[in-house]
Amino acid sequence: MPDNAIYYYVAYAAIAVLLGGYALSIGVRRRTVAQQRDAAERGAVERGA
Amino acid sequence: MIAAFVRAIFFTPPEALQGFAQKIFYVHVPSAWIAFLAFGLTAFAGAYWLFLKDPRLDRFAESSAEVGVVFTTGVLVTGPLWGKPIWGIWWVWDARLTSTLFLWFLFLGYLVLRSAVDDRDARARYSAVVAMLGALLIPFIHLSVYLFRTQHPMPVVANPTGVQMPMVMVKTLLLSLGAFTLVYIALVRARMQLATERDALLDRATSEA
Repeated sequence: MPDNAIYYYVAYAAIAVLLGGYALSIGVRRRTVAQQRDAAERGAVERGA
Repeated sequence: MIAAFVRAIFFTPPEALQGFAQKIFYVHVPSAWIAFLAFGLTAFAGAYWLFLKDPRLDRFAESSAEVGVVFTTGVLVTGPLWGKPIWGIWWVWDARLTSTLFLWFLFLGYLVLRSAVDDRDARARYSAVVAMLGALLIPFIHLSVYLFRTQHPMPVVANPTGVQMPMVMVKTLLLSLGAFTLVYIALVRARMQLATERDALLDRATSEA
């Protein structure tokens, strides 16, 4: 049997990094939108005051 | 996903001829199935949007397409990692590989198109048409191994003559497919929430302007 395990280790790591990285990117973008929403709310309160 | 990885790595025997590199099959094939599912659902959501004009359908299409591009990237990364030890080359321009690469570029273009159009209705309409045309590639990619002489192997599970692999490997594949499907659902849900929050923020900015 050929000893080519390194290729599947790399493939599994690549999938984990790809999906984990994408999930992280969604989290970062949601946090950015939440910060923009908070800034907009603060701006609206200041304009109203 | 962790359970699927553990079962594939520790509890599924390597294939006799291909060795351990065959285990790439348990992430490559589910990635491809989920990519096709994601782009197929993108096209369905786009088509329904043309009738119903419901913004949730457009947000689902956007989310599913983005997640589909991620899974197709997984297919295009893991495929050459299997090809190198088994074929001796990373890539070959056969019908299955080339059409999958074309599908990846097409839905990358779909996402670029969406980011280039500001008007929401126009963006949803244009992208729905692109998604429906792009999804026509999916059956072509599936049938390409029958239509052309390709280097890519024939299907071993969805094969007209029956399943052509041991049951222990089939079970691992099905577990992996289930795990990938759950990850797809979770990612699309999170991405849709992002799109909903972003649209609410844009609506607010528009109403205040």
